[in-house]
Amino acid sequence: MSEQTLVMPAPPLPRRAAPSFEAWSLRCVFGVLAALALVFLVAPTLVILLTSFTATESLRFPPEGFSLRWYAALLDADQMQAAAWNSLVVALWTTVLCVLLGTPAAIAIARSKSPWVRACDVLFMSPLLLPALAFGFAALIFIHRLGLRPDLPLLVLGHVIVCTPFVLRTTIAALTQLEPSLLDASRSLGASEWTTFRRVTLPLIARGIGAGAFLAFMASFDNVPVSLFLADERTEVLPIHLWQQIENNLDVRTAAASGLIVLLTLTLMVIAERTAGLTRQMR
Amino acid sequence: MSGQRGHELQLEAITQRFHDFVAVRDINLRIGAGELVALLGPSGCGKSTLLRIISGFMRQTEGRVLFDGEPVDHLSPSRRGVGIVFQNYALFPHLSIRQNIAYGLEVQGVAKAKRDARVDEMLALVHMSEFAGRFPRQLSGGQQQRVALARCLAVDPKILLLDEPFGALDKNLRLDMQIEVKRLQREYGITTVLVTHDQEEALSMADRVAVMSRGRVEQIASPTDIYDRPATLFVNQFVGSTNVLDGTVSTADADGSPVVALAGGRRIRVASDAPLTAGSAVRVSIRPEHLHLHAEAPGADALPGAVQTALPLGALVVYDLALEGGAALKVSVPRQRGEALLPAGAQVWAAPQPSAGYRAFPA
Repeated sequence: MSEQTLVMPAPPLPRRAAPSFEAWSLRCVFGVLAALALVFLVAPTLVILLTSFTATESLRFPPEGFSLRWYAALLDADQMQAAAWNSLVVALWTTVLCVLLGTPAAIAIARSKSPWVRACDVLFMSPLLLPALAFGFAALIFIHRLGLRPDLPLLVLGHVIVCTPFVLRTTIAALTQLEPSLLDASRSLGASEWTTFRRVTLPLIARGIGAGAFLAFMASFDNVPVSLFLADERTEVLPIHLWQQIENNLDVRTAAASGLIVLLTLTLMVIAERTAGLTRQMR
Repeated sequence: MSGQRGHELQLEAITQRFHDFVAVRDINLRIGAGELVALLGPSGCGKSTLLRIISGFMRQTEGRVLFDGEPVDHLSPSRRGVGIVFQNYALFPHLSIRQNIAYGLEVQGVAKAKRDARVDEMLALVHMSEFAGRFPRQLSGGQQQRVALARCLAVDPKILLLDEPFGALDKNLRLDMQIEVKRLQREYGITTVLVTHDQEEALSMADRVAVMSRGRVEQIASPTDIYDRPATLFVNQFVGSTNVLDGTVSTADADGSPVVALAGGRRIRVASDAPLTAGSAVRVSIRPEHLHLHAEAPGADALPGAVQTALPLGALVVYDLALEGGAALKVSVPRQRGEALLPAGAQVWAAPQPSAGYRAFPA
């Protein structure tokens, strides 16, 4: 037989089905949601960014002129800098503690099928669902009943409670993707459970933990409701300080500080996305 | 390393219960040094449970596991020296091929120089030396399996467990890998347990096959014995294909071999391992390839039927016959080049080949 290629007539292109009403309405809903997100989340951010570059004394949009004078003014804003430093310290401690507490909890929750552990999962996640304001108020009363006064460690503790769920969720997600046979393979090759955890489990869930740590850091850094109750004058944090500035004298420096936070957050997000694939960890 | 000589694996009265479900029931198995035994059975037959018990990931409810006569039940999986090749290979995705193979040696504290030499040896053994720097996701299924095997053999395990190792490979590659694994197993003389639901895999690879069903070993024998002399109807049906006909034991004929009256009224002589009592119901089995077709009645034990369909399979033709009384019978016959198929409706006689015969199992 000679080598012969059969030339088949190209199959007719499948006709694109007319979009059903369901598909159409789904697209509409998504479109509207995306538009709302753009208008109410991105637009205000742009407004504050643009306003912060104003050359005038007043906090007004659209800004008049362009200058970096308010950013320069931040360099002399001692109180604001102290608040920012407090926020950073609180957020860093919170992140460290959230990772140290959230990771083992996530491992226990991912491994166990016991209803008690399920209940713990719901309990640990509840700070995400409960109004943080109520939690902050309750925490303040509780602290007073114990005869304590709000200070930095207690503020960190409050933040840890509301930020741990982020680490918990991303770590559990990473653990459920972890192939159990990898752990069996490690054990059968002679590794102890601890070695297996260190050499196999931890490297494979590190990105999940990292994503959770990033979210916990951001959540702590701009937390208002818990800080409102648990921070005192000495531990005033940045979001509260900014709020008071706006309330009292519409200080343009708050816009500059906000602009700085937005830019820093964007930078961090890009870094997190590049190194850890942040959005992939949150699915 | 202890190397070249295999270890004996013995399972003694192993029973595994999960609440009131018995997954494995009173298994006694002795696997000789260097032997390859296949645990063959459908899913849920208990073969995977047995594998987890041997490797130490599960503690059996009753019974003992012994290596070379020594109980190993108190040893954790990491101390037991059982190497496992998993169905999905379970290569560490964050480690390179070299690091994967070195992993076991590293965690067992083998010095770097010795470790490197061993890894090189293993890479050469499975023909993967040029892939040492790659990561598992960059390899094909067959290559990943080679690495999994090398990683396993690097630590010189006493027993090798293969858990459905060829299931994820396509058909051609599967045969190559089966030959490759068998070569390595022979070369190393390592005692191996192959867990599979694929009868071809079990028959082609194993020295002995243990057919399992519902937590029990139905039969353990050489592949040819399993095929030729199945101990139970389950084994007969699970390994290869067979015809099953219902009948009743009638009195033995003149030379003493039992005779069964089939549903259609025909009487045939059968062989049976179990004693048959007259009047009891039996199921009679014969494989399609153990039957011949004849145009005229060839004598005793022949069954008349009408051709329903012919399935030409190249070298073979499978005829589906309708017997008297409506039972179906498949007959597989070799086909000569140019030979015409029997038409539907043709009247033929099916009779067992002289070397084979009907086998009866209690119903």
